[in-house]
Amino acid sequence: MIHINNLSYRYPDGTLALDGVDMSIEKGEFVALIGKNGCGKTTLVRHLNALLTPTEGSISVFGMDTKNKSGVWNIRQTVGMVFQNPQTQFVGTTLEEDVAFGPENLTLPPNEIRKRVDRSLRKVGLLEYKTHAPKALSGGQMQRAAIAGVLAMEPECIVLDEVTSMLDPESRGNVLDTIQQLHQSGKTIIYVTQRIEEILPLADRIVSMNNGKIEFMGTPHKYLAYVESDIPAITNLMRKLKAKGFDVRDDVFAVDDAFLEIMKAWGMGKEVDGVDMLDGADKVNTDDG
Amino acid sequence: MDELILSYVPGTSPLHKLDPRTKLVALMVTSILVLQTATFPKLGLFAASFVLLAYLSGVGTGVFVRSIRPMLVFFTFIFLMHLFLTEGDPIFRIGVIRPTFEGLMAGTLITARFVLLILFASLLTATTRSTMITNGIERLLRSLPLKRIGLSSFDIATMMSLSIRFVPVLLDNARQIRYAQIARGLDIRHNIFRTASTTITPMIRESVSTADELATAMESRCYQGDFRTSLFELKMRAADWGVLCGIGGLAVLSYV
Ligand SMILES: Nc1ncnc2c1ncn2[C@@H]1O[C@H](COP(=O)(O)OP(=O)(O)OP(=O)(O)O)[C@@H](O)[C@H]1O
Ligand SMILES: [Mg+2]
Repeated sequence: MIHINNLSYRYPDGTLALDGVDMSIEKGEFVALIGKNGCGKTTLVRHLNALLTPTEGSISVFGMDTKNKSGVWNIRQTVGMVFQNPQTQFVGTTLEEDVAFGPENLTLPPNEIRKRVDRSLRKVGLLEYKTHAPKALSGGQMQRAAIAGVLAMEPECIVLDEVTSMLDPESRGNVLDTIQQLHQSGKTIIYVTQRIEEILPLADRIVSMNNGKIEFMGTPHKYLAYVESDIPAITNLMRKLKAKGFDVRDDVFAVDDAFLEIMKAWGMGKEVDGVDMLDGADKVNTDDG
Repeated sequence: MDELILSYVPGTSPLHKLDPRTKLVALMVTSILVLQTATFPKLGLFAASFVLLAYLSGVGTGVFVRSIRPMLVFFTFIFLMHLFLTEGDPIFRIGVIRPTFEGLMAGTLITARFVLLILFASLLTATTRSTMITNGIERLLRSLPLKRIGLSSFDIATMMSLSIRFVPVLLDNARQIRYAQIARGLDIRHNIFRTASTTITPMIRESVSTADELATAMESRCYQGDFRTSLFELKMRAADWGVLCGIGGLAVLSYV
């Protein structure tokens, strides 16, 4: 449970990066934060674990006010943060040492650190690489290592700031799978991204920022009904079909949903068992590939 | 293939099993003794014990050869300096060039000392993980009153392991900047000053932003230099005390 109350932030050089942000995040929620370059996403999420503190307004993280200096340690343990650049957040000379960094700072005993390191590495699927040096790991593996490093501190909430932007498509998929599993295991996820497509199927809620303010907040479907440009290809197709007079919803982004909508518009939705037809469609796809 | 850190060679030899503190202290004492050795027979004794330890460690000769190689120019220089500049009996004479027998002795002795120092040091790094070395140094420093100069032993240990981690990264950045400039037509050999300034400016900018991001990442993972624990527990065993006593005895012996 995070409550952000009328938050404004001005950088020392005078830039007003956040301007009256109000928002609450529930436990277990998956929130995607999107918006143009420089709209204040990074500034906002850095407030969540007290890397920055509000110029105006306040934030409470699981009941702790981030302005209260004595609680900073607890807050950072509760809200873990993963950054964009895989290289500069990897502090160990091997994978397991890097994951141990957080627990070591929490002054846990060696056997407890070992347990947490192994458990976290297993969760992100990197246990077998634990003695590898960073240069033997791919960018995607390093980002999963960073996630493991945060998991080892056993946080309630994990904030990920454009963690896939420097990765190739395959690594991006692996990292997203890992994040989805964490969400399913009950962690609260706050995911900052520029790629709306990767996050629509995962997020419970989309928060879109512009110029230091929140301009939209709602479910992925509502978001697609709200935005005009930068939409997934499938949504775009549905919009064009609708413009041509087909009776389809234009706020869908998943292949299955689009397929059902099109079938319905043809008047076949009721006669044909949707699930069977989807299986058929999948087969056709795999045969093609 | 397992990645090597510094020149660590994974293994289970008796040397691998010693506590890093034992090895650090032993290395320090040995270094002092080697530097004070003035006769060939004593030096030969050290060389023989190195060979024995290297054999015990199970580390291949290649690692040691590689640790000596970057220093070869330096060794040659030292040796030739002594050979030609020491007063004494000339071996032969061509004009002003007159190597002496005394120079030959002094040069060999001094070069051999340096070679031995490097070899013993690489015995430490080959049998000890870099984290264990930094942990060991941290524990040895912990008793010193570093607080008075505003540092903690943990800060120093963290600085050391971050250097081990990031020096290669920064070198790699430098190389990429150079390639980028060559690709844009900058002729490196042409103007050394221009090359230096065009390489150094982006390098500094890159390093500062790396350091900045690193500091933020460390801070968000609760880093506070004054106290931390470690994944690896240090433990002094009977063998460690045995080695320390042995080294102590050796030190005493060499003074009588
Ligand atoms: N350290 C800083 N000092 C001064 N101004 C800053 C600083 N960091 C960011 N800003 C400014 O604050 C505003 C918000 O930046 P922020 O990094 O939060 O945006 P963002 O949405 O994360 O952008 P991006 O998509 O590029 O990551 C921008 O106008 C930016 O120039
Ligand atoms: Mg950002």
